[in-house]
Amino acid sequence: MDSIKAGYSQVVLVDNGGFFDESEMRRDLSWFLMDVMKLLGYDAVGCSEKELRFGVGYLKAQLKRTQLPMVCANLYDRKSGKLLLPPYVIKQVGTVRVGVFGLISNVLDLGPSRDSLRVEEPGAAAKRVVAGLRKKGATIVVLLSQLGKIESEDLVTAVDGVDAVIVGHNVPLLQKGRMIKNTVACYGGSEGQYVGRTVLTLDARRRMATGDDETFILGPEIPDRKDIAVLVKGFEDTFNEKLRKLEKERAAQEAEKATSGTPDHYLGQEVCARCHVAEAAQWKATGHARAWQTLVAARKEAVPECVRCHVVGYNQAGGFKELTLTPGLANVQCESCHGMGTQHDAYGSTPRKVTEQTCRSCHTKETSPEFDFALFEPHVNHKGVGTPQPLPESPMKKQLPAGK
Amino acid sequence: MKTLLFRILASAVLAAVAWLLLAGASSPKGATLEPDKLIILSTTDVKGKTGPCG
Repeated sequence: MDSIKAGYSQVVLVDNGGFFDESEMRRDLSWFLMDVMKLLGYDAVGCSEKELRFGVGYLKAQLKRTQLPMVCANLYDRKSGKLLLPPYVIKQVGTVRVGVFGLISNVLDLGPSRDSLRVEEPGAAAKRVVAGLRKKGATIVVLLSQLGKIESEDLVTAVDGVDAVIVGHNVPLLQKGRMIKNTVACYGGSEGQYVGRTVLTLDARRRMATGDDETFILGPEIPDRKDIAVLVKGFEDTFNEKLRKLEKERAAQEAEKATSGTPDHYLGQEVCARCHVAEAAQWKATGHARAWQTLVAARKEAVPECVRCHVVGYNQAGGFKELTLTPGLANVQCESCHGMGTQHDAYGSTPRKVTEQTCRSCHTKETSPEFDFALFEPHVNHKGVGTPQPLPESPMKKQLPAGK
Repeated sequence: MKTLLFRILASAVLAAVAWLLLAGASSPKGATLEPDKLIILSTTDVKGKTGPCG
């Protein structure tokens, strides 16, 4: 962001919502991300049903504390009949007057807020707000949409005057944005690993003449801002310790319940290695054998959805529970790809095939955008034929799928 | 004639100085970079992540 700001004077920074974590256990991340967004100088943020999952009171308190400019033009308090949040912000950015408004879907469940809030039909709200923004002198109008891909595209087709739409809510990641009628649409990826860059070329009246959009992976080539990195590390150290404690308690409770009633369970690679010596030796040279360490290095060893793909059988019968309880099941081992060791007899005579689908259960487009089965599979297949091609050094060097 | 010419020149110089001063005041600390561009940087659906798993 700083490098963009160094090259351009007129820059707007926005998030279109959906940044609260879905787990109650990880509620702290919500307020922390709000703090960071404020520090990074976000000009506007949108609102999704995720931001409402801990209740309206929680969201309002955090907005008051952080002064983060969250906008939503179609979310109403049922009791007062008033908008819950400001519908838009107008920013003077250099010579451009930019209006940014937000919309939430009216077909989603608002969770604990469903009884206290009402969502207006997005198209009607958009027409009213765009007209209002133009009247107030906004020469550029940006929509932070939490309507999903199809609904967002339909809306900007039906409603004139939106120059750019940031499309969110379970939207596929596309490297190149596209023009929808007169609107540039940005389909940035989720989970904080990507940033969308929409470039609007302005005419003499400071209105959009042309627009272009591209999404970038925030890979290792893009260094963290030092002050933010320090803040994140401090937060994560405390937060991970808290999660580890909770996870240990939960694992101990589960261990008490025992899994004796379940016939099949995981065994760990040491058992497999007793017979499959060559395969075990080859495995030790792969990234799979160091998967836990990469998680520790990223300080994500207490984050359940990360742990799942860096250990054997997370939270399943005989599988990884927590490092101190099940140290022999850390890393991606034999059973991660070949199945539970106790099922060995069932498939021992006919070897179970490891397919692309097996790998894709962890190497998803979101978590592993650089993953290419044909390129990666030779590194782990135990065949030992020839020298596999080197793996890509960084996700930044791999192209993302282009928009259609 | 000479006085008239002097007056016209003086007015022109004054106008030029005023324009330069105004132009200088309206561009804080150097010129606007890419003045015909507006960049929108965006993040979406961050879902509680502070970074990738590793």
